[in-house]
This record gives sequence, C-alpha cells and structure tokens, in this order.
Amino acid sequence: MNYPFWNIPYLGSGWVIGIIAIFHVMISQFAVGGGLYLPMAERKALRMTDPETRAAWLAQLVGYSKFFLILTGVFGTISGVGIWFAIGLTHPEATSTLIHNFVFGWAIEWVFFVVELSTAAVYYYTWNRIDQQLHLTVGWVYAGASFFTLAIINGILSFMLTPGDAWLAVAGTGHEAGKFWYALFNPTYWPSLFLRTCVCASLAGVWALISASRIDGDRQPALKTSLVQWSVKWLVPSFVAMPFLMIWYYMMVPASQQALLTLGIDTINAGTFSTVTRMALVIIVTSATIVGVAYYLAYRSPRDFNLSHALSVLLLALIATGAGEYSREMLRKPYVIGRWMYSNGVRVPYVARINREGYLAHSNWVWNGSGNGLAAAASNYSRGEAIFRGECGSCHTLNGYRPLAQLLAGRDRANIGNFIVMLHENKPDSPYRRFMPPMVGTKQDVDDLTDYLNAQVNPSGPAKVLAASK
Amino acid sequence: MTTKTQTNSLYNWTDERLGLSELAAFARHKTVPVHAQSFWYYWGGISLFLFLVQCFTGVLLLVYYRPGAEAYESVRQITFVMHFGWLIRSAHAWSANLMIFSILVHMFSVYFMKAYRKPREFGWLSGMALLGLASVFGFSGYLLPMDELSYFATKVGLQIPAVIPFVGPAIANMLRGGPDVSEFTVQRFFALHVVVLPAIFLPLLGFHLWLVQRHGNAVPPSEEAKPPQERKSIPFMPNFLRKDLAMWLISLNILALLASVFPWSLGRQFDALAPAPAGIHPEWYFMSPFEMLKLLGSVLPGEAGEIAGILLFTLGIVLWILIPFYDIRKESGQRARAAHYFGLLAVFALLATTVIGYWTIR
Repeated sequence: MNYPFWNIPYLGSGWVIGIIAIFHVMISQFAVGGGLYLPMAERKALRMTDPETRAAWLAQLVGYSKFFLILTGVFGTISGVGIWFAIGLTHPEATSTLIHNFVFGWAIEWVFFVVELSTAAVYYYTWNRIDQQLHLTVGWVYAGASFFTLAIINGILSFMLTPGDAWLAVAGTGHEAGKFWYALFNPTYWPSLFLRTCVCASLAGVWALISASRIDGDRQPALKTSLVQWSVKWLVPSFVAMPFLMIWYYMMVPASQQALLTLGIDTINAGTFSTVTRMALVIIVTSATIVGVAYYLAYRSPRDFNLSHALSVLLLALIATGAGEYSREMLRKPYVIGRWMYSNGVRVPYVARINREGYLAHSNWVWNGSGNGLAAAASNYSRGEAIFRGECGSCHTLNGYRPLAQLLAGRDRANIGNFIVMLHENKPDSPYRRFMPPMVGTKQDVDDLTDYLNAQVNPSGPAKVLAASK
Repeated sequence: MTTKTQTNSLYNWTDERLGLSELAAFARHKTVPVHAQSFWYYWGGISLFLFLVQCFTGVLLLVYYRPGAEAYESVRQITFVMHFGWLIRSAHAWSANLMIFSILVHMFSVYFMKAYRKPREFGWLSGMALLGLASVFGFSGYLLPMDELSYFATKVGLQIPAVIPFVGPAIANMLRGGPDVSEFTVQRFFALHVVVLPAIFLPLLGFHLWLVQRHGNAVPPSEEAKPPQERKSIPFMPNFLRKDLAMWLISLNILALLASVFPWSLGRQFDALAPAPAGIHPEWYFMSPFEMLKLLGSVLPGEAGEIAGILLFTLGIVLWILIPFYDIRKESGQRARAAHYFGLLAVFALLATTVIGYWTIR
C-alpha cells in the first residue's frame, strides 16, 4: 500500500486499462502476424512467373506496408505506452512487483522494439530502391524482432496468471529476480505463446482483408481473387489449433482457477454460470462465426468482397479478442499475480498482519488521523471511504461498473455488515473466495466499511436534509 | 437404378406436380443491384431472420408458459429451473428488440432510397403494417412475465389509448379486461401475442415477401440516373444468398452474445398495491412517441393538450404512411426534396425525443 489510489467513478479503473489494452492487442498482435504476412506475401510474389500478376501483387504490398507502418508504428506504439500509463495508475502495487522482477525482460523487449520500428520504416521506404532479396531480408528481420517482443511480453502476462512454484518460493524475500527465467517460462508460457501466435496470424489475415477489399474487383479480378483467398487462409491455423491449445492452456492453470471455468459449465443449464464461462462461450461462438463469414463472404465470392464485409470480419475479430483478453483477466481472480497478490494489491502473506494492525495503518498515502497535527477535518472522506477505495475500488464502483450500490440494494446495515464479515472471515466454504479477495483489516475497519457502504445503499435522514437544503 | 437416376425421377415426379423448375428458373434469373448503398439491402433479410428466431424460441417458451394468475411463477421456472430456459427466454427478448431495430433501419433505408415509389407502394404499406404489428407484438409480450417493471410499464402504456376522446376509455378497458391491469389483462395479451397477431402477421409477411420477389430490389435515384450499362448487379443465387447467409450468421452471433452475456432479468412479482418503482419507462421503441406526447402535453396543458398531441402525432404517422402517394415522380423535383427533408426531420425527431426521454427518467 505504498501508492495513492486512483479513483475512477462509474467506469472503474480496470476498464481504463481494459479499453486501452483491447485496442492495443488488436494492433500489436497484428504487428506480429502482419510482420510475417508481409515477407511471406513478398516472397510469394517474387516467385510468381507471370510478370503482370507479380507486379500487381508487389504494388498492392507497397500500399499495404504503408498502412501497416502507420497503424502499428503510430497507434500500436502510442497505445502500448498508454497501457504503461494506465497500469501504473490503477495497479501501482502490481506494476511495481512486475518491474522489480522483469526490468531485465523489458530491457530486452525494448531492444527488439527499436529493431522492429526501424525495420518497419526501412521496409516501407526501400521498396524498389534496394535489391529485392535484401528488401525481403529486412522483412524477415522485422518478423523475427516483432515475434520476440511477443515472446517476452507473453512471459510477463502469463506470469501474472501462473507465477510458478519456483518464483513463489522466493517471493517477498528480495531474491525474486534470481528466479527470472523460471518466472518468464512459467507453466502457462508455452500454451499462451502458441495461442497468441495463432491469433497474430489470424489478425494478419483479417487486417489484410481490409486492404484487399479495397481492390476494384472489376478492374483487377485476378489480383483481388488471389489476394483475398490467400489472406483468408491465414485464419486457418488458429481455427484448427485453437481448441487443442485452449485445452493445453486450461490444463496448465491451477485447480482453483480451473474451478472458475468448470463451476460455470456445471451450472450452465440453470443460467447461473460464471462470467469467465460466458466469455469463453463468446470466444467460441464468435470464432466459428468468423470462419463462416470469411468463407462465404471472402473465400467464395472474393470479387464482391467489399470494405463493409471486411469491417464486419474485423468487428467480429475485435469481439473475439476482447472476450479472450477479458476472460484471461477474469480467470486470474481473485489475484492480480497468482497466489501472491490479490486483485486489490494486498499480498497474500500480509493478510494476517493487516488484520492485526489495520488496513489504513499500511496505506501511506491515506490520511490516518495521526502525525501531522491537523484536525480530523483535514480529510474530505471518511475512513470507510478510504477502505472502499483501497480494497473494493480495483473491481467495483459505487454506481457504474459492478455497482456496489445496486449489488447491495435491499440490504440493511446489519445485513451489509454480515456480508462484509463473511468476506473478512474468508472461510474455505465461502462461495465468494473463488473470485474475491478477503476483506482485510481490524474489526474497526469492517465497521467503518460497513458504515460507508450502508450510507451509500440506504441514504438516511441527514443525507436527505442535505439534499433538500441545496 | 443408380442414386442419381433415382433422385432425378423423384425430382421429375415432384416437379410435374409442383412446378419446381419454374421456381428454380426464377431464382436463377433473379439479380440484385450492386452500388454504394447495397449494404442497406441486408436489413430486410436480417429482420426476417430475427422473426424466424422469434417463432422458434416463442414456441419453446409456449411449452412452459402459463398465462393468468400463474404467469409470473411460470416465467420464474423458465428462467431459473428449466434447463437452458434462461437462454431461450433471453434469445426471445433480445431478438425481439433487435428485430424492431432492424425493421426501423430497413424502413428508413427504403425511405431514403425512395423505394416506395411506383410500383412498390404496396410494399411500403404492408411494411408499415408489419412494423405496427411488430410493435404490438412487443407491447403485448412485454407484459407476459408479470414482474414489477412490465406491470407498471403496461399500466402507463395503456394510458395512451385511454386519452382518445369518447372511445379511448372503452378501448383501454377492453384491452385490460377491466379498469386495472390484472390476470385478465395477461390472458388477453397472451391470446393477442400467440394467436391473433401471428394470424395477421404471417400472411401479411408472405404478401410483403412476394412483392419483393415480384418487383425486385429498388435502386436509389443516384443509381437510376446512370445509363443501364454502367449499373452493376450480381445473381441472387448463389452470390447474394451467400452474403445474406453470412449476415444472418453475424446476426446470430450478436444475438448469442447478448443473450449469454446479458441474460434478460426477471424482476420481483408485481404487486398492484405497491407504489410504482422509480424510473418506470416504456421500452426504447416506444420512448419516442411517449416523449413526444409528453412534450406536446407540456406545451398545451390539460385534456385539450392530450387530445391535440394525439391528433398531431396521428397526423405525422398518416403523412409518413402516405408518402408514396405524394412523392410520385421519378425525376428529382420539389416533392422529392420535400419528402427527403421530411425523412430527415423524422429521424431527428425520433432520436432527439428518445434521448430526451432517457435523459429525464426519474
């Protein structure tokens, strides 16, 4: 609790990361897949015997690499920096832990970033200016560099779900960085890398369809047909491999996290299944739809394939990607770093101490009524609100996303209090412990939080008088 | 006999009696124009697809739904006890909303493409009737769960016909089956929803689709102005059909997404004696007329205002329905422009009043 809380009303701070991240993933994974698509397409074109088709393909690729350069080099990089900004503000504690462990990993990644960005620019600006084979080599260097950025960040993302026993054994001792390679190549590293690589290839196909859809099918029927059909084929690997990779991924996830999925599947017929299962359903249904739509609209009628068709495929890909990232985040619950740090930034081994000494005593940035000699009025919000921001605010808002005012509606103070006590005790049979962190703190903290939430759910006399006098 | 000759002889036998080859020939020759506005051609098909989903899920709900005093309990069972009942109910409710949305898109695209002009006047009129019926479907279906929200929203909704002079109260009482919304109302709405409305809707829909086959797709005036050799078209079979199916697939995906991620909720059982909960408002597709009447009522207060509001509102709808008989010429002229602006005004009024309506919910 070494950092201030960033309070985002209505939307919740998690969605600030979420919105930037989904946008970023759509582009950055395209940067990886497209990095392979471009040299593969160029190689294919260079091997064509018919000079006319070859020239048409190459001309199309020049235009496409410009689109690629602008999209990935501008929007991809800016949104990537945006994620840094957002996670530092919304999850400082987890970000700090990641930096302490992976500062070397990020250093490696930035080296590859620099190579990636410069080769992308060189690739576009040297079309028809340097030797064809050399140009193709630049493309392959780009493909390699961009793949390694994925390989590194994938280690960090999968680490958050499954840090692995080797790292957990030294967590909190100050020797975590000594287990860097164990943490990077953690249990879900490989299935996650293969999954993401497949998604990258699909996104390369989807974005290439956007560009190919703009070719006039009447003037260049052969070019459009071959390019559209070739791009659709990029969707094939992921749809063949995806089911197997997902099962592999699932096997590598800890049993408590598997339970979040199976709990959902057991209760699917009654409609009370978990969000992560709903999202998994969305991924499956949407992926199947993409296959059908790409087959009928693009592969079977390439000449009529237009921009709005391509945009609808892109939109579906956005839904599938968004649902995929969302369910990955949900699967991690109740942790932000598996078995080590709860989603509200409380470290698992610190729970007993905070329960003894109080939550706010460990929150350096929250006014705790002591030390500076100012009167109690110096704080413009109560202890209860401070605890709410710190312990609940990572996932809940008062009136917007996962709104506590509505989720607790209909309960009186005693009832709200019992609920918080249940979260505080966090008994093994509590249904909430599967996806919510325990409420940590002293008896006083429980009461303060109860009072604050009760005042929000059941606005009482004084609040109404205040409203009337305005 | 080989399988092929068997199939052929079966086809010939059926063909002689039903004339299948004529249909096949018709389908082969049917074409669909291609131009910048082709996208809007899909919306009629999407509406049809969502209607089919309605029929399918509706029949499944009918198996367990019990109107009358047990209405709420049976919907509770469907939602929480029956296997996949929640999914069927959610799909039914979501596809109803999506269908009305896509019919509205379809209507405005027909309007702005001027596809109501000769010889397609009956297409426009039957389409408007289908939209009217669809909204009655929506209104009657909304009450069936008999939870708090549907009860009070229906109560408010039925106040609109009640303000019609002389006959209004009688009509409202007849719909309610008494002076108040009760089990009798739900029984009547049920009969309306599953028997009366489908009996009118289905033949009208058949007529509407037959007209589309008869006259083909209309092209917007900008295309019509081009010489015939510059206009493009694709065969319906299989090119357009394939695209249509892809659109149906996308619609099904969006429906599955909404139904599984945002399942339709069920409120508390209605209590006629309890005060209406805060924020009672009509469904989004009734928000605009509701808000227009409210706004007109505040300009002209009292009963005179209500009656004037209803009259003005009815006049607007009548003008909208009669547009094919006003904007008749093929060439662009003053009437065509006036119709265009009238359409823009309607879109603006619809959006503005809906936004104001949601803005001012209390």
